Amino acid sequence: MYLQSRRTFLKGAAFSVAGVAIARGVFSTDAIAQSVTESKFTNTPDNIAFYPEHKDWDNFQELDGTDWKRGGIGRHGVKSAENPNGIEVNNFMLVPTVCSNCEAGCGLTAWVNKDTMTVRKYMGNPLHTGSRGRNCAKGYAVTSQMYDPDRIPFPLKRAPGSKRGEGKWVRVTWDEAMSEIGKKMHDTLKVGDEMSKKLMMYHVGRPNENGFGHRVPHTMGIDGFNSHTNICSAGARQGSIQWANDDRNSPDWGNADLIFLQSSHAADAGHYFQQSAGLIADARKRGAKMVVLDPRMSNSAGMADLWIPAWPGTETALYLYLANRVLNEKDKNGENFVAHDFVKEWLNWDRLMDNKDYLQKMVGYGYISKMPTGDTYEDFIKLAQELYAPYTKEFVVKECKLEGMEHKLDALWEMYIDAGDKIATYLWRSGPIANRGGWMITRAGFLTLALRGALRGDIGGTSWHHWHELSVAGKGDKATVAGEAAPKVDVWNEIAWPPEFPLSTYEMSHIMPHLLMDDAWQEKWIAKGLNVPRKLAVWFPRMYNPVWINPDGFRWIEALKDEKRIEMSFNLSPTWSETNWYCDYILPTGLSGERNDQQSTPSKPEQRIEFRQAVLRVAAEKMGWKAKNPARATLEAHMKYGLGEIWEETEFWANIMVHHIDPDGSLGIRKFWASKKDPSRAVTVPEYFDAALSLLPRLKETAQRMYKNDEFPVYSYLRDHGAWTEKTNVYKPQEEELEFDGETYIAEGKKYSKEQVVKDKFGTLWIEADGIKKSIGIEINGKLHEGFHTLSKKLEFFSEWFAEWKWPEYAIPIYPRNESEYKKMEHVVTHIHHSMMKAPNEFALNTVFRLPYNIHTRSVNSKHLMEISQNHNPVWIYTKDAEKLGIKRGDAIRVNITDTVSELESGYFVAMAVPTEATRPGVLACSHHAGRWKLKDSVNIPGFEHALGIMGVGAPRYEMTNDGKVGTLKPVAGIKPRHDVWQFKEYNKDLDNIWWDGLSGSWQNAVAPSHPDPIAGNHAWNHKVIIEKAKAGDKIGDIVVNYENNMKIFQAWRDKLTRPLAVGDTLRRPQHIGRPAVPLSNKAYAVEIKA
Amino acid sequence: MQDDLKTEQLARVNIYALVSRILMSEVDETLLNLIITDENILSFFPSFEKWDKRKNMSNKDLIEKQLNVDFTNLFLLHLIPYESFYLREDQQMETGGDNPVQALYSNFDFIVELDKARVMSADHIGIELEFMHMLCESEFKALQDGEDKIAGEIAEIQYNFLKEHLLEWAPMFLLNVKSEAGTALYFDAADLALEFMLSDFEYLTALKENGYNYPKGDA
Repeated sequence: MYLQSRRTFLKGAAFSVAGVAIARGVFSTDAIAQSVTESKFTNTPDNIAFYPEHKDWDNFQELDGTDWKRGGIGRHGVKSAENPNGIEVNNFMLVPTVCSNCEAGCGLTAWVNKDTMTVRKYMGNPLHTGSRGRNCAKGYAVTSQMYDPDRIPFPLKRAPGSKRGEGKWVRVTWDEAMSEIGKKMHDTLKVGDEMSKKLMMYHVGRPNENGFGHRVPHTMGIDGFNSHTNICSAGARQGSIQWANDDRNSPDWGNADLIFLQSSHAADAGHYFQQSAGLIADARKRGAKMVVLDPRMSNSAGMADLWIPAWPGTETALYLYLANRVLNEKDKNGENFVAHDFVKEWLNWDRLMDNKDYLQKMVGYGYISKMPTGDTYEDFIKLAQELYAPYTKEFVVKECKLEGMEHKLDALWEMYIDAGDKIATYLWRSGPIANRGGWMITRAGFLTLALRGALRGDIGGTSWHHWHELSVAGKGDKATVAGEAAPKVDVWNEIAWPPEFPLSTYEMSHIMPHLLMDDAWQEKWIAKGLNVPRKLAVWFPRMYNPVWINPDGFRWIEALKDEKRIEMSFNLSPTWSETNWYCDYILPTGLSGERNDQQSTPSKPEQRIEFRQAVLRVAAEKMGWKAKNPARATLEAHMKYGLGEIWEETEFWANIMVHHIDPDGSLGIRKFWASKKDPSRAVTVPEYFDAALSLLPRLKETAQRMYKNDEFPVYSYLRDHGAWTEKTNVYKPQEEELEFDGETYIAEGKKYSKEQVVKDKFGTLWIEADGIKKSIGIEINGKLHEGFHTLSKKLEFFSEWFAEWKWPEYAIPIYPRNESEYKKMEHVVTHIHHSMMKAPNEFALNTVFRLPYNIHTRSVNSKHLMEISQNHNPVWIYTKDAEKLGIKRGDAIRVNITDTVSELESGYFVAMAVPTEATRPGVLACSHHAGRWKLKDSVNIPGFEHALGIMGVGAPRYEMTNDGKVGTLKPVAGIKPRHDVWQFKEYNKDLDNIWWDGLSGSWQNAVAPSHPDPIAGNHAWNHKVIIEKAKAGDKIGDIVVNYENNMKIFQAWRDKLTRPLAVGDTLRRPQHIGRPAVPLSNKAYAVEIKA
Repeated sequence: MQDDLKTEQLARVNIYALVSRILMSEVDETLLNLIITDENILSFFPSFEKWDKRKNMSNKDLIEKQLNVDFTNLFLLHLIPYESFYLREDQQMETGGDNPVQALYSNFDFIVELDKARVMSADHIGIELEFMHMLCESEFKALQDGEDKIAGEIAEIQYNFLKEHLLEWAPMFLLNVKSEAGTALYFDAADLALEFMLSDFEYLTALKENGYNYPKGDA
């Protein structure tokens, strides 16, 4: 009605109610002015990133935040005995800590009110050079996690006589729990044979610390670590390992000219969101371009210079297309676009050209037409030109299904070339984890960077995380009686690392229950001579919730309920979770401000650590409080200051090891956890971390200077500052000179005499230690360099070891060049390839994108995060696809998951469809990070007056059925207003105002079968799905799962696609890539497979 | 006071009240009922009047499942209904006593009960519009009392406030609301507020150019 005549508005005079009655009436004139000239408080902070100076952190006064809305002190003055209506003043101590809600590890400060000894708020830590005083929503939400009304207040034990999953619990003390658990672990280890070292599994969710968790099984001498990584990011890591024997790359976002994101991860929600996003924003402000390659238009894609929605899993083709153009096109000077100086020196083309057998294989595969005529660099370039020539624009348009978007490829090429070697990327989840063969996406992606010199790790380019990260959390040995690290572990656990997956990037965690329940598989490998565990004596996850977040949740439930397969289980868990429901003990542990961890995140080219600490303990100790037992100070502080019987792993493990698992030292474990200072007790947090952190020389020197009178100066420094940057501007680290004085080489702190070192014809320097050949550096053009972490010390375009380990056809970046090669090269073709979609209602389901405000299990009951995320996980469907199928916004649809390897059906979930242009045609999107559930609203604990609420603001209540074959879940009730808060009332006054009858999404993970990638081992998260409109009686949130089929699907992937260890193999896995958690001995690696 | 002037002033008082109320806080059943049952008010919401959901849902459901959700999206989560956000170079909200709008209110001895309004600062769109409502009401009372000079002074404050504050940013914000609105009510409310402010500024400009001489006629 734009520009109505004034006359129209005159109807306003005839309202039936006068304006004064309609208006809210928020103005008043009865100001109680009070002079504030004497006050030190100002009305408004100077800027939003306001932090007091560090010298004031121990004692800082600030007006109460809730009173600002009353108008500041200008209205009511400062509260005092004479002025009770004034604004309250908080006497704060700022205690630095680190957020634990995601892997980014952003700095936090806990603002502890010294009068009440409560944390009033969490803000950032300006001393943390990665997060720079900033946090995302999850950081600020830590307060609501800490004072969660449903926080588990004390250890719980499954009620005697009840079955797992019945939901009957009794209260126990930490000492009772430690005594019972410790005895079971002691008795298991006491047997002392090989099997006894395979029967316990420490299953760690997102660790957010650097090495302490590994120390737990390591010191027990067991191969018993399992991680979440194979459902997280292992696909990408596989590609990084092949290129650089490094776990992941590490970009210099802030100085890049092109921000290249495959998926939205770094800028939207994932590794290392907030820190990366800030640096990316800095770069873009400076003029950097941003490209997002993602089938879904994420927040990042929406604001990028270019969004390329390639079909998921086909991105390899796009990268090889860029490689083709770099190699075969000419610039204005008639030269191709290869950064020859870098490629010639730092890629292992020389080993490829020297390996005639392999070159012959390449001819056989049809990769090249004939053997190269020579083995020079120029011959290599010619070979590469031929190798990648098939990946033309026409090919990539068809393969990535970019018809009509050809212009985007031209735009990409221009941005990519214009940026030179200043291209920053972080190839991580999304494609590499979601698709079979996704690791090859990383192989191909890094090729494009390498060819342009962007992998040199120079300013604005991309390097490797090893150089930007400091891991010392597992190295506090000097504070213990042992004084040194535990020896390598001598056994190999087939449940963690089965023989079908020798090259798996991480432990095969997502098929742990499947392997435990697969008798035929166990018997097969026992017959072949392996000592395969057939049960676990103790399974103990830490902040991990596999029942919900792993694929095939009903299989997890089956395994966890089976007391013969898993004899005892306990979860070190800060929140209620679906997994807790099926454990024997729930041991409530701390969140961001309640733990003691060293973390280090490679978010920029520097070496930095952050120190997470139990802030109430620290505040109390700085105010003079002393724990009765210094080795349990955190637990004591939490109990004394009203948080509850909340503990954390550093003190827990030290205590249970010293007093329960190995009380008399007979197992050889106690010495690694008993205090050197007082061997009668466990090591303390200050003792342990002072020893560990003292391994950083600059930190040690600074701390000893600043805290010269302290017993633990390095600990004191981190206690007060929360973060430390050991080194900045870490660029081109592979070019660092290898120390050699004519007689002795020094590599990674170790000395080697020149007689020990052998130089091969490629310039690589080798030593032999413990029966293993190891490279220590490389000579290039007469100069000695430390080199990359690979055996060749160069970036490995050609992964020689990978070829030897049964996969020669994929030992270079490669992808099928036509349809006839799809089947032959199926290991690197996504299982949701567009050629597999036959009918209009068949789609690829893109599940791998994080919601920026949720982080798997631990944020489940943060009321603020859940409030903004509830009902935010619909199924995105391209508008025209929806039109064809008659699907409208808000319609409930059944999403049937089907497997393209076994052709079996898994069942379906019902979700809400949202037609949108923000997902590409043929590809649905529905994040697998939502869909929490609970079976009861609360539990009553005998002898405790209050019912314990279960995820009361985080998960709707469902009904479940499962009979061993088919499982169902149906939503029953949403979140209701709460009037029953009995703990942390001050923080939860608004619970009566929180309700929602919608869901947080469907539990699609349970429908999903495990898809173990045959090489990288990771679960390939995407699915082929067939959609249909919901049927009568269906409700959004319903799931029906044929988990008997899911077992067969997993078996099909395992048995049809892998190349297992076989007769003649002598090693479990290449030793130079190692195992990620616990160091294993040669004995553990050795294997003999019987016919 | 002349009848036309009285109608004009009453309309201004009421419309500023209405838009300030809608843009400040969530709709409650009383307000929704008023909008739906008062045909003069409903006529300002033409899309809402025809909206299927309004006709098919109970008022309670309409409020809880549609209107309040949209309000949350528009005013709390995704858009920033504060002048300082739009006018400051750094796009930060000024929530303290240094806020120039807060200072302006203080000059007139007005205090905003921010806790009652449930807003972060005094330059919220709803607060500024309610300020206009109050000024209009004061002007109306002055006119009723025959104090045309005082009324004129108040009208000048209105003119200046619109020119220097509301019109500097609210049109941008309201166009954003129109673009992002998920319900017909907030689309129409933004449209109404925008149109009315522009129209009112023309009215006040004419009055100013006329030396704040109100038309004379029968009381």
